[in-house]
Amino acid sequence: MSALPRLSAIFLAAITTLVAVLLYSPLFVPIVSSFFTISHGNVDWSSPTLATYVALAENHDILAALRTTLIVGVCTVVLSVVSGTLLALYYHSRRSGRSLLQFIIFLPFLMPPIISGLALLIFFREIGLERSLLTVVIGHTVFVLAIVYRTVLMRLQSMSRTLVEASYDLGATGWQTFWRIILPNLSSAMVGGAILAFALSFDETMITILVTGTQSTLPVRLWAMMRLGFSPDINALVALILMFTVLLCVLAARFLIPRQVATERT
Amino acid sequence: MSKADSTLPAERRLSLLVTVLAFALPVIFVLVPLAIFLGYSFFSVDQGTIVYGLSLGNYARFFTDPVFLPVFWNTIVLCVSVAIICILLAYPAAYFLTTLKGRWRYALLMLLLVPLLMSYVIKIYAIRSILGLNGFLNKALVALGILQEPSTLFVFNMNAILLTLTLLLIPFAVLPIFLSLERIPQVLLRASDDLGASGLQTFLRITLPLSLPGVASAASFVFVLAIGDFLTPQMVGGISGFTFGRILYSQFGTAYNWPFGAALSVALAVVVIAAILIGERFGRNRGISV
Repeated sequence: MSALPRLSAIFLAAITTLVAVLLYSPLFVPIVSSFFTISHGNVDWSSPTLATYVALAENHDILAALRTTLIVGVCTVVLSVVSGTLLALYYHSRRSGRSLLQFIIFLPFLMPPIISGLALLIFFREIGLERSLLTVVIGHTVFVLAIVYRTVLMRLQSMSRTLVEASYDLGATGWQTFWRIILPNLSSAMVGGAILAFALSFDETMITILVTGTQSTLPVRLWAMMRLGFSPDINALVALILMFTVLLCVLAARFLIPRQVATERT
Repeated sequence: MSKADSTLPAERRLSLLVTVLAFALPVIFVLVPLAIFLGYSFFSVDQGTIVYGLSLGNYARFFTDPVFLPVFWNTIVLCVSVAIICILLAYPAAYFLTTLKGRWRYALLMLLLVPLLMSYVIKIYAIRSILGLNGFLNKALVALGILQEPSTLFVFNMNAILLTLTLLLIPFAVLPIFLSLERIPQVLLRASDDLGASGLQTFLRITLPLSLPGVASAASFVFVLAIGDFLTPQMVGGISGFTFGRILYSQFGTAYNWPFGAALSVALAVVVIAAILIGERFGRNRGISV
């Protein structure tokens, strides 16, 4: 697709710039306001300040919500990586009913979150499970399972069968092969899947709103605060979260792009 | 792994146990809740308590009440519009990315995808402050002389929802279109060039048809995400911007009619499944495996 006429190249570049501006303008607002005071839509550029970051450190309500979000994220990651890996191994071992199983795993990811969330809400009520952090973790795990499962399965399918066959030829048992050949080969896919799962869980709002109890996660807390308008320290939090998620994203890319390709490109 | 021994009773029992264990979690936490949810849509509510008797009353209400079908239809039109605008913006951007070489291509792709990682709620809030009467957009339009005074055209109404959803969902359109454009073999384009086709002819007869699967996936992604969203309309829609997701959500809050909400969810699910199937049908890569 080389040698574009100059005019169309300029047109395409202009649209791309427009898209980038559209995508980044909502991010720009909170970041700018975390360093400068904004009143009535006018930015006061003259006096940059870190006061919002100091205020954030004293906002116990938000910090508690952040801690809850991290706890939920870690539990979700552990549950989804363990079950996602086991389910991927099950699918890969060509046992019965695997297509049906895969369909069920993908359902919550394909359906709108409001449907998965409401279905779980009614389910918890029917089995008499009080809404709490446990129900939030279950909701998140069900939602992110498909991503972890898919990531691990893709690695399994691209793994050469000869590795496993060589292991058996050399007299290793099934367990030895699993622990010493299969699992090490899957580890980077599992880490990549874990990072994706954490990122999804960290920002999950719609399912969480429906199944959460009294302790709310950060997005739900922000959602509740939004009706009244945010205090300036929220902007500081947003700026920090953005930096953190970009870091996560770079890490995920590192683990998910196979090493040969990565070295080719650098 | 040892298939040869699977006739032994112990092995077979173990294999059955593994199957049951594998199915247990997905069935309990996905299939059973969805089945109960579907069942709820046939129940009814009497004075704040749920009546567990089967009836088609909820569905009859959905089809006969003058409120629900128009909102349902308007929401579908809204989400189709969002999908179309997203594609019109994402296609040129994705095409531009494929004209770049090596690292730049992926760096720029990342740049367009990173906003996905930003908190959804915060983005809605920021867009709302951009669109508001005192917001950046109105200020810019007035400053440029396009408007005499701030307009309410995109403040707390359907237009606001349309713009906000578009801004939120563009990355979901960029990725599939980029992937389908990137998969087009370069030899086809060179052959077309060699045979004397102009740039425009090559685009219209080679590139565009071969990238349509990506466009179809992009459209179905964006549509499904837009129609399932109830946070954006709630936040930027005001009183006039009433979407199906909002009505559905209100059945579980203020209206407190879970069975009716379940029936509305079934209607939503039908549309979503249709959109996914259409996207899947046209999203297949035909003729690319040259």
